[in-house]
Amino acid sequence: MRTISGGVSAALVALFLGVLVVTQVRTQDVYSRSLELETPASLTTLIANLAERNSELGREIFDLRLRTEAARADAASGTGTLSEAQRQLEQLEVFTGGTSVGGPGISVRIDGPFDEKALSDLVNELRNAGAEAISMNGLRIGPRSWFGLTVDGALTIDAVAVPGPWTISAIGSPDVLYVAMTRTGGIVGQFELIYRGTRFVVSRETTLELPALRAAPRG
Amino acid sequence: MASLTAPRSPLGSAVLLVPALLFGLLVTLQWRTQADRSDVSLRRTAPLLDAARSLQDEQNGLKTQLADLRAQLDEIQRSASSQNAVARDLQVRIDELRRAAGLTERSGDGVVVVLDDTRPAAGVAGSDAERALCHSTDLTDIINATWRGGAVAISVNGERVVGSTSVYCIGSTSMVNGTLMAPPFSIVAIGSQDQLMAILDDPAQLADIKRRRDAHGLAFTVTRGAGLKVPAYTGALNVRSATAR
Repeated sequence: MRTISGGVSAALVALFLGVLVVTQVRTQDVYSRSLELETPASLTTLIANLAERNSELGREIFDLRLRTEAARADAASGTGTLSEAQRQLEQLEVFTGGTSVGGPGISVRIDGPFDEKALSDLVNELRNAGAEAISMNGLRIGPRSWFGLTVDGALTIDAVAVPGPWTISAIGSPDVLYVAMTRTGGIVGQFELIYRGTRFVVSRETTLELPALRAAPRG
Repeated sequence: MASLTAPRSPLGSAVLLVPALLFGLLVTLQWRTQADRSDVSLRRTAPLLDAARSLQDEQNGLKTQLADLRAQLDEIQRSASSQNAVARDLQVRIDELRRAAGLTERSGDGVVVVLDDTRPAAGVAGSDAERALCHSTDLTDIINATWRGGAVAISVNGERVVGSTSVYCIGSTSMVNGTLMAPPFSIVAIGSQDQLMAILDDPAQLADIKRRRDAHGLAFTVTRGAGLKVPAYTGALNVRSATAR
């Protein structure tokens, strides 16, 4: 029966092709399509963000290229590459929260009602502005840290209760972090509208000391 | 000749003529302003779109270069460390930290969370349409819940979530690790399935997302997955101001 079975297989092939084409278009062009809907102002902000990310990547590539050459020279001369290994170890320990760290940055003091979602937003905003290490009231916030609330409404970091008032410390460029927090329409401005009874004070810090994570992620 | 309708007075025709003219004028005006507007906005956005796309392409290239350099340096280190015990111990510790930092691919069982905005139906405007869209806070809430559920590795649309990861949202476009993306979002979390499901199914968790799913058709699904893959982080570590103490 050419008509029925032929028709069915043709329909199946057509269906399959249709699904393929649609998924292809969706995965390939998924951000492109949403970009086309953005206003010039949004696009400009996105472009500034992309450019900043790319120069960050460029700096790290430059750095790593020098280190690769130095390590290669060390290996060739037989002096070993302990200094490079030490450097990698230190960088990774800072990145994973495994060691206490120091450096310049900002602090954000929060006095009054605040919740775990707002804390999560604030940490996200600090990371977006290039914060390299963050802590709150002497408790380090790590790569896998999560925020919650106790039954009586106190904030928790990794299940440890942290009573207010809170001081969040973030190491990074003080100017970049400060502007990212306090700019018009920025996160602190939004918080001031939402938590009307709460005081937010952002200040630049020349030296901050942050502790290591209590339990650093191990693999 | 017999007319189908009752004969109209000239006055009655004039009454219809005026609104018809006005209507025609309005339609024409509306059409013209819309055409003008889209021309202007297209002229302004076209170069911006090109710039955004080429920066994203450049970023992909930079990430490949960075991964390549990391692999080269790793190889030099590895062959050097095979020669002495101190270096060997150091290398073991570095490997462990690279895994903890998210610089290596991870695979295993876990869960997949899919989040998508629903195109608002015609006539649904304002806050209702707004609630059916997904926002960057939805992604940070889901990431927070999956860490809470004991995840060991998470990715969002193929971008590994690490210590420096942020979710940035503008308009309907999002950035994770500085990479442009748009809904649907697929969050892959590797870890104990039971523990992860317990948190994600808990009505007290992600309550806002679940409310919008039920009331406004936001797409939000959680499924168990076996043999899942979470890619390595390919961005910069960017440790510049902070020094170990």
